[in-house]
Amino acid sequence: MVEIRIHGRGGQGGVTLAKLVATSRFLTGQSVQAFGLYAAERSGAPVQAFCRFDDAPITNRNLIYEPDHVVVLDPTLIGPGVSTGLKAGGWILLNSGDSPEHFTGLFPHNRVATVDATAIAREYGLGTRSVPIVNTALAGAVARMLSIALEQMLAALEHLGFGGGNVAAASDAFEAMLASDLPARGPDGQGGARVGPAVRAPSFLDGAGVDAPTILTGEWASEQPRRSQFVPPCNHVCPAGNDVQGFLHALADDRADDALEILLRTSPFPATCGRVCPAPCMASCNRIQLDGEVNVRALERYAGDRGRVALVPSGSRPERVAVVGSGPAGLAAAYHLALLGYGVIVYEGGSQLGGLLRSGIPQFRLPADVLDREIGRILDLGVEVVTGVFVNRERLLALARAHDTVLVATGLQEMRALRLGIGDDEEAVEQGIDFLDRVRSGAQERLDGEDVVVVGGGNTAMDAARSAMRLGAESVRVVYRRAREQMPAIREEIDEALEEGVVMDFLTQPVAIHRMAQADGDLGERHLLCRRMELRGTDASGRPSPMEVAGSDFSIPCQRVILALGQSPDLSVFPEGTEIREGAALIGLLETPVFAVGDLATSEGTVAAAIGSGRRAALHIHQTLTGEVVEVGERMRVRSDVDVWHDEVIRAEALRLHLFERAGTDVQGEIGLDRRVTTFDEVHSGLTDPREARRCLSCGVCNECDLCVTYCPEGVLKRVGHDLVFDYAHCKGCGVCVTECPRNVVFMSHL
Amino acid sequence: MALEVVTGNHAAGYALAVAGEANRGARGAACGIYPITPQTEIVERVAGFPFTKGRVVPVESEHSAMAVSMGASLAGARAFTASSSNGLAYMVENIMTAGFYRLPIVMVAVNRTLGPPWNIWADQGDSLMLRDFPWVQLYCSDNQEVADLTLLAFRLAEDRRILLPVLVCMDAFIVSHTQAETDLPEQERVDRYLPELELPHRMRHDVPRTLGGLIWPDVTTSQRFDVDEAMRRVPAVYQECRDAFRNVFGRDPGGVLEAFRTEDAETVLVASATIATTVRDVIEARRARGERLGLVKMRMYRPFPEGELHRACASARRVGVLDRDYAAGIGGVWGQDVRAAFQGHRDDVLVQDYLLGIGGGDVTAESIDRVLDDLRDRDRAGPASWVDLAVGGAGREEVA
Amino acid sequence: MSAVTEGALAAGFPSIPCSEECLLRPGNTNCGGCGMSIGLTMLGRALEEAGEACMMAIPACCGAVTAGAFPTTSYGVPVVNTTFASSAAVASGLAAIRDLNGESGQVVCWAGDGGTYDIGMATLSAAAERDEDILYICYDNEIYGNTGGQRSSATPAGARTTTTPSGKREGKKDIVGIMAAHGIPYTATLSIAHPEDFREKLLRAFGIRGMRFLLIHSPCPTGWKSEPGDSVALVRLAVRSGLFPLLEVFDGERWRLNAEPDGSDPAEYFRRQRRFRPDELDLDAIRAACRARHERLRTLAATFPA
Repeated sequence: MVEIRIHGRGGQGGVTLAKLVATSRFLTGQSVQAFGLYAAERSGAPVQAFCRFDDAPITNRNLIYEPDHVVVLDPTLIGPGVSTGLKAGGWILLNSGDSPEHFTGLFPHNRVATVDATAIAREYGLGTRSVPIVNTALAGAVARMLSIALEQMLAALEHLGFGGGNVAAASDAFEAMLASDLPARGPDGQGGARVGPAVRAPSFLDGAGVDAPTILTGEWASEQPRRSQFVPPCNHVCPAGNDVQGFLHALADDRADDALEILLRTSPFPATCGRVCPAPCMASCNRIQLDGEVNVRALERYAGDRGRVALVPSGSRPERVAVVGSGPAGLAAAYHLALLGYGVIVYEGGSQLGGLLRSGIPQFRLPADVLDREIGRILDLGVEVVTGVFVNRERLLALARAHDTVLVATGLQEMRALRLGIGDDEEAVEQGIDFLDRVRSGAQERLDGEDVVVVGGGNTAMDAARSAMRLGAESVRVVYRRAREQMPAIREEIDEALEEGVVMDFLTQPVAIHRMAQADGDLGERHLLCRRMELRGTDASGRPSPMEVAGSDFSIPCQRVILALGQSPDLSVFPEGTEIREGAALIGLLETPVFAVGDLATSEGTVAAAIGSGRRAALHIHQTLTGEVVEVGERMRVRSDVDVWHDEVIRAEALRLHLFERAGTDVQGEIGLDRRVTTFDEVHSGLTDPREARRCLSCGVCNECDLCVTYCPEGVLKRVGHDLVFDYAHCKGCGVCVTECPRNVVFMSHL
Repeated sequence: MALEVVTGNHAAGYALAVAGEANRGARGAACGIYPITPQTEIVERVAGFPFTKGRVVPVESEHSAMAVSMGASLAGARAFTASSSNGLAYMVENIMTAGFYRLPIVMVAVNRTLGPPWNIWADQGDSLMLRDFPWVQLYCSDNQEVADLTLLAFRLAEDRRILLPVLVCMDAFIVSHTQAETDLPEQERVDRYLPELELPHRMRHDVPRTLGGLIWPDVTTSQRFDVDEAMRRVPAVYQECRDAFRNVFGRDPGGVLEAFRTEDAETVLVASATIATTVRDVIEARRARGERLGLVKMRMYRPFPEGELHRACASARRVGVLDRDYAAGIGGVWGQDVRAAFQGHRDDVLVQDYLLGIGGGDVTAESIDRVLDDLRDRDRAGPASWVDLAVGGAGREEVA
Repeated sequence: MSAVTEGALAAGFPSIPCSEECLLRPGNTNCGGCGMSIGLTMLGRALEEAGEACMMAIPACCGAVTAGAFPTTSYGVPVVNTTFASSAAVASGLAAIRDLNGESGQVVCWAGDGGTYDIGMATLSAAAERDEDILYICYDNEIYGNTGGQRSSATPAGARTTTTPSGKREGKKDIVGIMAAHGIPYTATLSIAHPEDFREKLLRAFGIRGMRFLLIHSPCPTGWKSEPGDSVALVRLAVRSGLFPLLEVFDGERWRLNAEPDGSDPAEYFRRQRRFRPDELDLDAIRAACRARHERLRTLAATFPA
């Protein structure tokens, strides 16, 4: 008689495997039995099945305590326990992708065979993904192991009504099974674990059943949930390196102070960026796939305006750093250096700090008091300021001698001009930056009755156009050579300019400015000659290339042309031949390390990029001077309970958007249009509450929504403090917490 | 104490109600009730009783009647109900459950023929089908016994050493609907006789115990053994309850069996319920003619009082068992138990089983005489004999 | 009419605490992804939140096996396993003695669809007619799960079970209509995929005296032949597609509809369970039936509002 014991989990088909093996012998005329050991355990619980066959009739109906062979259906059950009672020299067939040799140490007295039945079952779609039914594959392997002809096992499959993938699985496993060499015979019988005689059990009459032990159902699991974290796209794209998800999470809980604290880890300008940042975070927001991006910019402003945080430098260091330029990059670097304890002196050529933040952005977008407040916060850290000192090449060398390091953040000083041909009318053409500076300082006279043309498509163009409207211009036209979709200005600012009456000529290239000479010798009315463009192909920057349309010239009458075509860095401060690379000291030219940061180094042209560059430079300086690497909230903090941090951006497809209710973007209030076009009052009034932050999907980052806790069927998933804690001793690995995690934070891990 | 002329049902309903009322100082009393002829009057009396702390739940089936009583018992109340015949059959699952839950429920069964066809008259086949359940079974011959054994049943069932339900049986109509003088004890005495119930395993919020879940063979064996031990203790505890009853009520409710003129009897008839009363008269008469006859009237059927039966039949060589029931394929139920009781103890006793009064037929003195004549003339025991069979069948051994 | 709120999910769901001594202890014998387990866990949390004690009468069903083998138990409250048809009657007895003794706490029947729609129907109906003060909760997994997956009168049309190998021909019994017709104080349907609605209804039920009947749509990965991890998602689809309406009926007279279908296609619900063969189902008829049922419920809720 041959007796086989099968170890499996509920739902894997162990009893059916026993029946298949028995049937294959029955069809050859043998006497057979197949049976299970039935109890209360359900899907996933360890269970046993048995079969026996013999040439002689089988009369014995006892359990099998000392089997000739053992089959293990589930890889997670492989352990010394499965060989209990197994006769020496008997086969032990394991569902495993490992070789038999891998297990010979575990089963020294037996012959080991392995086959990756799980992979075979999955290949043929047998069972579900989490509970593959491996019995028919193992039937093929059992045949191979016991030298039963495959045809006989296939006959059993047919006899029991199995077809299709089951037959293929059995055949594949028959071929794929690996077996160890016959080991030396060990002592016969390793001793079966017989159930002893019944002992007097506790009675419910004397109170038994209270505080009783429970089953360690964690042993049922073939997979276990783990916690992970991804990079949300907003955090990924933020040029300032802000932890966007982090501050939104705090705001969602109405914790403006905490939100501001998170923002101030990376940026000294939340209230500023909350007004003027082009917000690439919003463009990349996964919520667009659901019902519109989260209004991160307005929320950052909310945190910047409402939050209160007391900053204290982490210590005091002897080194002194000179920062040249007080734009966002310079001030951001000064801010972080001061926080690290350095003595910082900012040298500004003008009379006021802020660089382009002050001179290049009109009050209706960024009121001076907001900027003053944020700069004040930096100065409160002990940063010294020297204004009215223009740093040229000689002065830079002097600074380098007087400081431990110098950081140059002079931004983009060279404005791009436009050659407007022979009729170029110098007095009618000016740079937008200069115009805005005059407007800001109050030096610009009103433009009543003027027709103004602004050339360009960026924020400076919009700001200039909108400022001109406010100064009473008769008309303001923006001329831009690409289409609206390519305009680099903030979308909302384009909308608002249009609302305020600015006219836009897209796909239009200015060619020349000229006057129509009048008969009476008057110079005549000024005109801007323009040419229509069309977009064909893409240029080096990846944007569509504007190409001239022949014969499309037309004229726009105007009294004033404002150029807003962008700026480029003025490198004359550096010695000849200096190579500018962001974050890298300008080595070899000076004894003292000198760094270039911000637009000067990157030409990225946004406040956020300048802030990020300033912070990176500060950290680099710190590392250069001390050798110490400091993590100051670069992009995000990885939660303490995370098992796996994926340093990759999570896309909307990886989220479970159906778990969110649709709710449109919350927009902030704004002043009336009549006030907008007549005053320089701030247009936006900000959000009245931070509810919009609750729309944040918290992509790939646990925000403690606790749906997993709510839905865990076993109640073995708990929130302990801020940590998510699994009770793996009891977790059955069902995967509900994975399916129900809206942000893809929990995932299943094979055991 | 005053005698009243009431029916057996009345006596049973009264006893159940006052027993429940006696627990008013503890967790009260409750029962699920459902009508079936001929026990309906019992539950009607219970439903009309002005309980201080009790609830009668009129349910939709016997099955639920026992379920409600089980729930009440599990909550610590004194619980009871009554049923009959097919009602008992319908209730079977929960009767068994109450026993294995060790709930001290008392149920009065009015023995009525199981249908079909429909027959409302006396036959013990209904309660005897419950013989393998963990219930004590008591059988009454008259109204007074019904009242007394019903009260005793509560004391026995609720004893911490027992904790088993008790079935108190009477013959349909012959007792249930027969008016006879009966002493219905007043509440005060009943209060004294039945202590307040404190069920050790009652469901309580501070003890989150799961009753009746899954169980392995070894623990099952152990729990069955517990039942067996409790069953073995029943005769002794019954005797204590009997003594206490005498003290409180001044009346003997009788032992687990009653031996009449068996001291020198050569022939003993074993009978229960009302048939026993008829047998008693016949034996008196035939004793007068010099026959050494005796009667064992069985009050307790489960546990089967084997030792007491041996003692009562010490001098007997012939034992006739009277069964008002039919167990298909083997004969009478009592007959099997009596025969088994002697097996291995006495090999000098001829035990013969007689089936009579089936379906409520009147068992007269003449029937008993025919049984005694047959028993006297036998030289060996045979299959159960049908007494008073109206239409004889070929090959049947019958007592004509 | 209020939609079931899930918008809060993005920013923080009010996590209901679950103590160590909870209703359903870890280490029970239920299958992974069992909807009944989720229901029990949620019931335990609601009881804890309301400060309600509870004892349960559980008839034959998976919930009876949940405890594990004696003396082990996974239940943190007193439980009696009743015979299959008897839970409402045993609970009646428990409730009667609770009331006689002036005690508090819920007497809960926790029963599957077999013990409710089928064998326990008469007992349940009688307890409802008597307006017993019990909380009867049917976790409806639409199958005799404990016995390996046979059809019940709660099994929907088209579902393959071991006793309807080619799909059940008949549809589900309208248990809600039946129970509401008894005029009991509270009848409601619950979905584990709508935990806030679930919790509110339990808390409401705790506060009502008399017979309360709650029907939970309870996924059974083993019987439905679905991924265990899909359990909640499936019953969410059932609500969203209109297959399982969330509603309340007060005194059998006043109706409230708690969720409107969001246009999700029932086909997806069927596709994700191997007990169905979507190609054999008349999906158009099913969609029409869902629409018609909701139209009727809307009319009821508008005509006889809660």
